[in-house]
Amino acid sequence: MAEQHEHSITYKTYLWTWFWLLVLTSLALGLGYAPIGERLKAMLLVCTTLAKILVIAAIFMHLRYERINLILITFAPLILAVILFSFTFPETLGTPTHLITVR
Amino acid sequence: MESSLAAEQQRILASDWGGGKSPFGTSWSKFMMWIFIISDALTFAGFLIAYGFMRSISPSWPKQTEVFNMVLITFMTFILISSSATMAMAVGAARARNPKLAVRFLGLTIVGGFIFLGCQAFEWSHLIEEGARLTSNPWGVPQFAAAFFVITGFHGFHVFSGVTILAIVALRAVVGKYSGDQVENAGLYWHFVDVVWVFVFAFFYLL
Repeated sequence: MAEQHEHSITYKTYLWTWFWLLVLTSLALGLGYAPIGERLKAMLLVCTTLAKILVIAAIFMHLRYERINLILITFAPLILAVILFSFTFPETLGTPTHLITVR
Repeated sequence: MESSLAAEQQRILASDWGGGKSPFGTSWSKFMMWIFIISDALTFAGFLIAYGFMRSISPSWPKQTEVFNMVLITFMTFILISSSATMAMAVGAARARNPKLAVRFLGLTIVGGFIFLGCQAFEWSHLIEEGARLTSNPWGVPQFAAAFFVITGFHGFHVFSGVTILAIVALRAVVGKYSGDQVENAGLYWHFVDVVWVFVFAFFYLL
């Protein structure tokens, strides 16, 4: 089944994808050094990271040519990660507590 | 018999939720690779969320730009992304039934993997020389080095496994035991390793 759709991606597409991934990496790197608030930085880094993984998954991993049910199950870890994060983060709401001591 | 097969195929192709012999419209090996990737992604998600939790309960966190050589880390990211591109091209060549070109691209990907591992070994030895250990480090927060060694170590082990798998696939292609599916499945794993690094790079090194 895979044979039917593989040829629709050309080397040129891969090179462009590589180029855009490097652009997104540079953007993330710039954000790392940008003089902005931690929360805004975290949000923007989440956005660039999601953009990068979507590009890799869609083109390099050929997910855009797969069936919708296969595409949907690949989102499972991301959704479960968000649930796990929302269970643990409210414990502190990002506020440092006495739980870890700095030597 | 043939008409029932055709009917089955028609049923599978007609609906995304139809089930049948190939409910995901893909080969069993590729589907198994996806299942493995999903379960492995959950492991990394656990690591990264544990790291996020530790960081959020810590009153301070070492500034990464002062601890790590960010030029090296950026170079490692560049290498891994580039190797992902060459891997995608290897899959393209394999699907186009051009094993010679596929082996060449696989070779480039393996070289990228080795460069990445070399850089990581250099980074680890440098930090260990500075006194970083699993339970302690000179930058104040013990959990910092623990998170660093566990997350990058686990990822590095995946890169090493990936290089081994790619070498096996390339060797099989050289001796003619060659299948496009094998290259594609190895490629899926390699891209997954790249995806994990995208997260590590953003949330461990940059945030």
